[in-house]
Amino acid sequence: MTRNRHSFINLNRLLDVPSTDPDDARRRKLLNIVLSGVAILAILAGIVTFSLASLLNIMSSQDVIIGIFSGLILFIGTVIFFAINRSQSIPGWVASGTFLLFLSVVLAFTDTPQELANGRSLYVFTIPIIMASILLSPAFSFVFAISGSLEVIILSEAASIELNTFAIVGFFLIAFISWVSAHSLERALKDLRTTNANLDRLVAERTSALAESLVRERIEAGRNIAILESITDGVIVFDIHGKAIVANPATTQLLNLHHDQVINSSVHDLTRAQALDAKNRVILADLLSNPGQQPASYRVHWGRKTFSVSSAQVFDTEETRIGTVAVFRDFTHEAEIEIMKDTILATVSHELRTPLNAILGYVEMFKEAVYGPINERQARASERVISNTHRMLAIVNDLLDQAQIEAGKITLKINPFKPSELLDNVSSLMSKTAAEKHIALTGEIEPELPDILIGDLTRLQQILVNLVNNALKFTEKGSVHIRMFCPDKNHWAMEVRDTGMGIPGNEQEHIFEPFHQVDGSMTRKYAGFGLGLSIVNQLVALMGGDVAVKSTVGVGSVFTVTLPIVQTGGIQHE
Amino acid sequence: MSDLAYVIEDDEDLSTIFSEALLAANYEVETIVNGLIARQRLQESTPHLVLLDMHLPGLSGEELLTQIQADKRLAKTIVVIATADARLGDAYRDSVDYILVKPISFTQLRDLTLRMHSRNEKE
Repeated sequence: MTRNRHSFINLNRLLDVPSTDPDDARRRKLLNIVLSGVAILAILAGIVTFSLASLLNIMSSQDVIIGIFSGLILFIGTVIFFAINRSQSIPGWVASGTFLLFLSVVLAFTDTPQELANGRSLYVFTIPIIMASILLSPAFSFVFAISGSLEVIILSEAASIELNTFAIVGFFLIAFISWVSAHSLERALKDLRTTNANLDRLVAERTSALAESLVRERIEAGRNIAILESITDGVIVFDIHGKAIVANPATTQLLNLHHDQVINSSVHDLTRAQALDAKNRVILADLLSNPGQQPASYRVHWGRKTFSVSSAQVFDTEETRIGTVAVFRDFTHEAEIEIMKDTILATVSHELRTPLNAILGYVEMFKEAVYGPINERQARASERVISNTHRMLAIVNDLLDQAQIEAGKITLKINPFKPSELLDNVSSLMSKTAAEKHIALTGEIEPELPDILIGDLTRLQQILVNLVNNALKFTEKGSVHIRMFCPDKNHWAMEVRDTGMGIPGNEQEHIFEPFHQVDGSMTRKYAGFGLGLSIVNQLVALMGGDVAVKSTVGVGSVFTVTLPIVQTGGIQHE
Repeated sequence: MSDLAYVIEDDEDLSTIFSEALLAANYEVETIVNGLIARQRLQESTPHLVLLDMHLPGLSGEELLTQIQADKRLAKTIVVIATADARLGDAYRDSVDYILVKPISFTQLRDLTLRMHSRNEKE
């Protein structure tokens, strides 16, 4: 089998003529096949003639000598044509053209002129016609139809017989059929080659794209692994069954566990670590078992370390949940700072207010003539000290409130209260400032507002005071109006409307940020840290409400705080 | 009823201011700077008014408050607490007469205690 294939390959190598033109290569190969056939035929004819002549003892006959001789000539001829055909420097048509001419001439001597011109051997002239269409080019069938016709005419003349017109017409008919079939064959082959070339190109493209994506994927995977291994946060991935399948080196380092203690362990195993106390065990287990249902991150005390732990569900591209990822960030340092911050806050709260209280008290005593009578100028100066101390106290209070809100230290004390009490308190607190600026401070409560509401009165008062204070600060003349109403049956609202300078549109979204003032240069003119609205915003958010602003520059602003109406039944008193 | 008022406050300046305010309200003022001393003084006498700082050395304001409430002899004593923390102050709403949140104004304290004292004199 192997041997057969081997010899077949060798035979192919003998018949193939390498050429850049696939048509040329095909024609040369076909000619080689024909030549091989003719050569074999010549040898066989020679052998048969020689054997028969020997048997019949007619070796000396002229016919026999001619037969053997012509067989030999034919063989030598085919070998010469074969050599020419195989030569790549000689064009392909030379060998096939001369061979066909040679064949045409030889055919004219294969029988008597009578038989060739109008008898049994007439058909031989069709052989070069058909072969020309295949070996040379489709149109060459007509050339050999002409040459065959000429030969028939010459032979008819030589034999003095009538010209067979039908045969000549037949030659052209065969030439036409050969031309059509060879032409379509060539076209089919060409199409096939184009298709193959396209296919090859496509395959090559796909292969290179695949190779590229494989390389890219490997690079990306490598990069992801490098990132995972170098980040300082601990990352654990649990599969859908809650078994840890990935843990980066930071995890084992932070949790002070061996890699083997983490990998393949369940959430339950992990939370059984000695470093966790009962409370933190519950927190961590809950966080890891119910990813995405908890706040974004939790503080977990693990031994002497504090972690900020967050967990999220992992989905594959088909949106199917495939597991959970947990990230452990070392929060120890930040936690220590937080404790320090709390201590500082408490100290600052006490240490700043106490001396301010002393300043206030002494100046008041001075002004109230506790230390003896004072003149009018001294009294005015005392007033200035008092009002400035109050301003400073307000700033200190704002800073402390802001710090407490940021630290999440503010809790609401929810109790029933009267809206009228809230309005009265704020009006009496702010009336002095309003009067000093000659601004009318008015208030109204719309009748649909319930007589009793539920909420943290102190904080609501703080919100309203901050809003009114802000309105008074930025209003030079006109009025500040407080309105309390119900925008819908589930909400109540406090609105503070002023006729002040207004807030430009692009600034409106920023005014609730801490330390923000519409124009930095105004800070000097309008004293304050820009904390008032930030505190309002955060307190309102804490109450589950919303604060909005509508403002036109030069006309005024309206701040509206909308809060849910809390039903008495659902309230937990603190 | 006596004209005696205790100012229990460890800060020297605040103690002075509070005392001056109470003096201006015609009280006879005794200043106490330590919780333990305050406990002893409260066992010995029956002041008309106690101005109590919640943040004290020795014994906390809260403990002193518990003692005052437990002592029937002091049932009529007006208790005013002074605290820097408004939230903390709210917690004592039911157990004291007045809650003052620092900073405490001299004039306000004087006017407030003056009213209490004059009410006392009428009785």
